[in-house]
Amino acid sequence: MTSPGDAAPVKPPPSFSPGVPRVATKTRYPSQRRDSSASLESDRAEPRIGTSPTPPLSRTTSELPLRPASPHGRPARSSTPQAGRSSLGSPIDGRADAALETRSLIIRSFSPVIGVYASSDTDELVRQKGFKDGFWELIRPFGENVPGKLVIRDSVGSSRGWEDYGVRFVDLKESCQPPDGLNQGRNSSLGQVESVLEKQLDSPGTPLGGSVHPNDLLGLSTTSPLYKLYLRQLLSIATASPHETFRHPVASVIATSSRNPAPLESLRQLYADTNNGSRRVPDWIHPEYLRYYVLVHDEDRDDISESTKLYDQMKRHFGLHCHLLRLRSNQCVVTDDDSMQVPECEWLSPSERLLGHAEPLVDLDSDGLLYLFESDIMAIKSFVRELVAQSVIPFMENKVAVWNDRVASRRRGISGRFMSMSRKWAGFGSSSRSSLTGAGGGASGNYNVAHGFYDYDNDEALLRKMADYAFMLRDWKLSGSTYELLRSDYANDKAWKHHAGAYEMCAVSLLLNPLGMGTKTKLENVDQMFETACYSYLTRCSDAPNTLRCLTLAVELLKIRGGSAAESAAKWAMRAMDLGLIESIGQALFSERISACYASRAPVNGVRWGSRRRKAGMWSLFAADMWLRLGKPALASACLEEAERLYADVLGSDGVFPMPEMQTLVDNLRLSVKVGYLEARGLDIKEETGSTDPLDNEETSEKLDRRLNRRSLIVNPLDMGSLALPPVQPTRDEDNLGNDDFERA
Amino acid sequence: MSYYFTILSPTDVPLFNIAFGTSKSGGDGIARFRFPDAAQNTYMTQFIINSSLDMLEEAQWMSGNMYLKHIDTYPPASAYISAFLTPSGTRFVLLHQPPQPNIPASSSTSGAAGSMSMSLSASTTSSSSGGGLFGGGSSGRTSSSSIAANPTAPQTEEAVRQFMSEVYEGYVKTVMSPFYRRGMEIRSPVFRAKVSGAGRKWL
Repeated sequence: MTSPGDAAPVKPPPSFSPGVPRVATKTRYPSQRRDSSASLESDRAEPRIGTSPTPPLSRTTSELPLRPASPHGRPARSSTPQAGRSSLGSPIDGRADAALETRSLIIRSFSPVIGVYASSDTDELVRQKGFKDGFWELIRPFGENVPGKLVIRDSVGSSRGWEDYGVRFVDLKESCQPPDGLNQGRNSSLGQVESVLEKQLDSPGTPLGGSVHPNDLLGLSTTSPLYKLYLRQLLSIATASPHETFRHPVASVIATSSRNPAPLESLRQLYADTNNGSRRVPDWIHPEYLRYYVLVHDEDRDDISESTKLYDQMKRHFGLHCHLLRLRSNQCVVTDDDSMQVPECEWLSPSERLLGHAEPLVDLDSDGLLYLFESDIMAIKSFVRELVAQSVIPFMENKVAVWNDRVASRRRGISGRFMSMSRKWAGFGSSSRSSLTGAGGGASGNYNVAHGFYDYDNDEALLRKMADYAFMLRDWKLSGSTYELLRSDYANDKAWKHHAGAYEMCAVSLLLNPLGMGTKTKLENVDQMFETACYSYLTRCSDAPNTLRCLTLAVELLKIRGGSAAESAAKWAMRAMDLGLIESIGQALFSERISACYASRAPVNGVRWGSRRRKAGMWSLFAADMWLRLGKPALASACLEEAERLYADVLGSDGVFPMPEMQTLVDNLRLSVKVGYLEARGLDIKEETGSTDPLDNEETSEKLDRRLNRRSLIVNPLDMGSLALPPVQPTRDEDNLGNDDFERA
Repeated sequence: MSYYFTILSPTDVPLFNIAFGTSKSGGDGIARFRFPDAAQNTYMTQFIINSSLDMLEEAQWMSGNMYLKHIDTYPPASAYISAFLTPSGTRFVLLHQPPQPNIPASSSTSGAAGSMSMSLSASTTSSSSGGGLFGGGSSGRTSSSSIAANPTAPQTEEAVRQFMSEVYEGYVKTVMSPFYRRGMEIRSPVFRAKVSGAGRKWL
């Protein structure tokens, strides 16, 4: 179509303006739209109150948060149709940004986990500062974004710097829980995600409620904050489990404080605990993780020279992985000079969010938030940076290199292939090619069937750990090829969850690897892998959270790829909705996402076809419908606008759907959005409609009875079936004109 | 198997609509669409057809045939779209929905759909009756009457092609009527009868 932006400055009469479709479309919106576009100049020039000829209703409705962006956004929009949202301008970089953001979110969700184990006196010291959970809670928010650039070397020796690297601090005892008993909690975790969303939507004061829409408007596929929250929740469900090692501790911080009478002894004791005491990890977690020793010095009470001496001793005893952390033990309050707010944790698991968020929401302005002295924050930040850059990452690099050398290369070479093949074929002449079915056929015997895990020192477990390390170090080429090695092993052992995980991560690695740009066949491969992973997760293991995680990763990563991959992303999203893994809010979010996937498919250069505008528009409308049913007219209206924008190109110049029932649905949606607003504001609807009449008298009567229908629909969506709309309902005048003189052929 | 057949003008205006069910293997020729929500029955077919126009436009310019075969699928309702293009740019679009979901994970899908949709009154009746009707059809898959079982099979493509060309014949005759102007809705009962006859015959 023409670019509507051209029309704006000149303002030709509507019939000649290329912007006409927009204007015409707008008349189906609440009446003040048309009004503002007609008397545009005056509207902008004059102050909003009083002087304009618009009746009071129009003013109230125009200040409705139809798009909570701001009332000022609207005149601007009607003057330059699609300003800031036109398909020519900003969305391109906007989309790229959004894609990068989602990608970074996904990458960061797989960050190394560092256990924290502090002596009781350290926890006591930190508790004085107001952190209930002790040392772990204090340093946790600072691990999520390691300041500065981190340089990581990959397996071929080339280095790359990452700005957005992070680690996750966990309480070490979380990793030490047995795998059983987790299952019960994890099944409901999807429900928890849903309740988090609900809570977020219902809490009026949070920034999210207000900022959903402005962001939605900016580009074709800017991710809405709500969806980002959903994604983040979904990705942080996982707890330590045998089938993947992302949640296994890579390192552990062992902390003692200067208050301790015998710090060295206490460090030794803590270390012993992690080895065979109360903090011993289960059999499926590799126990040889890095130990990092921290001495917390109390600036307010203790003598620094003592602590330095102690620290020197520590270094002599425990080697290089030590740090002296200088903290003040007094509690910091807002009124202190150098107080800084503690950053919020980005990666809270759903259950934590449900538990912990309550108090900050209740009293936002008072003591719900924690503060720290600036010097403390600087100290913690530099501690985290040193920990990650000088200990954790070199440790992981080293481990990957060692395992790659010892375990993986044995399997990779020709001899390795022979070995695995001979193992597969050994000792069962009778069994056929499909060694999967042979009882002991290809099974290595390492798999502990009863408990569903490999011991940590088996080849399979080590390879998986190596691949996961490589993945966390963002060496996706190595991790991808290693997962590929593992897939068949797991299938042979019928370790289905491991199998699913290997397929999932293999596909994810392929998609994340910037060099492996997708040719058609590659994409089919990836699709196949996701298919297998889903099947194994859901049908063989009935693990819903992981299935959904897998599908969501597929959707997001394929969408970032763009082109035909975006389409298959949409297919995966539909699949996820179809499988019944998602509850109502998630369904609406996924519909929006499908729409975004289709919308990101650009038309072929120079021609009008090749885009997926209609599909995108359709899904946007469905999303609007779902939001309405959930009683969220604000979100519905955003979707509706998005749909309108998407349909603008494919509809005729009058912006009317050629198919009558589609038009009916759209009209109904628009009306119920409006009604929802008015109800939300507690306005009397009858009064409103009374004053609407003079504004658009042609359509009002029609609107009225439809509204009744629609309202009954809101109450009980099932009544729609009894609506008894005539199958073809020529509401448009031009249709009638055309049909009048038609006789039977 | 339920069908929804639409003729669309080059500017996407629907000229003719008809919904019918299969008459093969004991079908009664009445369309029973299954959508996740019974409320969607009124508009879903139109939305699916409209959204498939994206694919149709692409297929229209990429292939030289009049019969474009199966061009699009709408997985949530397992609806399949076949299209036929007349030389004047008018599009015949046929939406067909097999009685049972035909995708590999069928068991889990139908279970999930059951738990999802709030009212199953319409959908269960249709699917159960459909299952009853086609119990024999899906077992005797080799016979030509079982096109319902697999919407993308060559037999189905062929049956749809036959249907489309028969409809095309009737369409040409109708359009040549001196009282018909281009872009008008087709209201001729003769044509409607012809289309439903072709549907009975081939689908």
